[in-house]
Amino acid sequence: MPEDTKKTLKDFIIDSFLPFAEENPFEDEDSFMEKGIINSTGVLELLQFIEETFEITVEDEEVIPDNLDSLNKLVSFVERKINA
Amino acid sequence: MLENVLTLDCKEQVERICSFICRQTQALKREGAVVGLSGGIDSALIAALCVEALGKSRVLGLILPEKESSPESSKFAEKHALKLGISTKIVEITSPLEAFGTYEKRDEVIKQIFPEYNKDYKIKIVLPPDLLAQDAFNLFKLITEDSEGNINSVRLNKVALNGIVAATNTKQRMRMLHLYFYAEKKNYLVCGTTNKSENMQGFFVKYGDGGVDIEPIAHLFKTQVYQLAEHMGVIREIIARKPSPDTYSLPVNDEEFFFRMPFDKLDLLLYAWENKISLADICSVMELTEEQVKRAFRDFTAKSHASRHARNMPPALKAEDGKNR
Repeated sequence: MPEDTKKTLKDFIIDSFLPFAEENPFEDEDSFMEKGIINSTGVLELLQFIEETFEITVEDEEVIPDNLDSLNKLVSFVERKINA
Repeated sequence: MLENVLTLDCKEQVERICSFICRQTQALKREGAVVGLSGGIDSALIAALCVEALGKSRVLGLILPEKESSPESSKFAEKHALKLGISTKIVEITSPLEAFGTYEKRDEVIKQIFPEYNKDYKIKIVLPPDLLAQDAFNLFKLITEDSEGNINSVRLNKVALNGIVAATNTKQRMRMLHLYFYAEKKNYLVCGTTNKSENMQGFFVKYGDGGVDIEPIAHLFKTQVYQLAEHMGVIREIIARKPSPDTYSLPVNDEEFFFRMPFDKLDLLLYAWENKISLADICSVMELTEEQVKRAFRDFTAKSHASRHARNMPPALKAEDGKNR
C-alpha cells in the first residue's frame, strides 16, 4: 500500500539521515540532494534498504534523481517496482 | 560574458604566487619548501613556482611511490625535478602502508562484495560517466581486472565504499607524514598542490594531500593550472598526461573517479556557479541546456556540502563572555 510504503521510507530516511531533526523535517516533494538530506553514500544506504525491505532489484540505470530524489518520487518508484 | 574569463595573465600570476610563497615562508620562519612530486601537473607547477620564488637550493622534491603507483609517475617527477635542478628524495612507502595494513584492509572489504578477488586482480573505483549527457547519482562502482584481462564491475554499497576509501586515503596520509618529517628536519614548509577545481568540491584527502602549510594555487582552476604550467616550462610528458589520483592498481583519471566531465566544461561551470552567472548566459556560451547546467550545479552543491568539513578548521566552542572556560 502506498501509505505504508511512504511511512516505511520516511521513517528510514529520518532515522538514518536526520536522527536529531524535529518532527517533519522535510516535505514530501523536497529534493533530498538540494536540502542536503542525503549525500552520495546516503544514496547507497537508501538503495540497500529499499532492495532488502521491498525485495526489489534496482538497476544501475534506475539510480537517478527522477526516481529517488524526494519522498514522493521514491514512493512512486518503489511502488512501480513492486507492481512490475 | 563567460568567454575567456579563465584566461590568465601568466606573468602577473607568477609574480603574485611567488610573492605569496616568499611572504609565507618568511612569516612561518622557514628556510625553504618541500613539495610532494606526484608526477602530475599540479605538483610539477608548484615545484617550478617554488624554485622561482625561493631558488632551487631551497626546494626539496619528495617522490613517494607505492606498489600500485604508475611507474610513469616517478619517472616524470624525477625528470621534471632534474630540469628544475632541485634536490629530490625518493621514498618507497609500500612498506609503511603494509605495516599499517592499507592493502589488507582494503582487500578484505573487496572480497566481501567480490569473493573471487585475489592479489592478482587490479582494481579501480569509478562514478557514472558524463554527468552532462545523462543524469545519475554519484554511484561508485568497483571495476576489477583479472590476470587474463577479464573486466568485471560491481556496484559498491556504503560499507564497501567507505572501507575502500578509508584504506586508500591512508596512502595520501602516509605521504603527508613523510612530507612533514623532511620539512621539519630541514625547517621547510610543506607546500600544497590543491587547485580550485579540487578545493571547491573536496577532491583532496583531509590530513592527506590537504595537510599542508600553504596552498599557492588554490585560487586557480585546473585549466588555469595548465596555462601556468605551459608558461613555467613544465615538461611535456606531465602536461600531456591525464590527471589521475594514481592510488588504484588500474589506471583511473580524475574525470572518471570524481568530476564526471572534462575540465574545460567543469571549470567554466564552476566559475559560473560561484559567480552566479545567469542560466541564459551559461547556456548560450557553453551550448548546454538549462537542465544540464542545473544538473552540474546540483552536483557541485552536493560535493561542496559534503566536503565542507575538510576545508574548515574543526568546529570548536568559544569561551562564554566573561568566563575563561
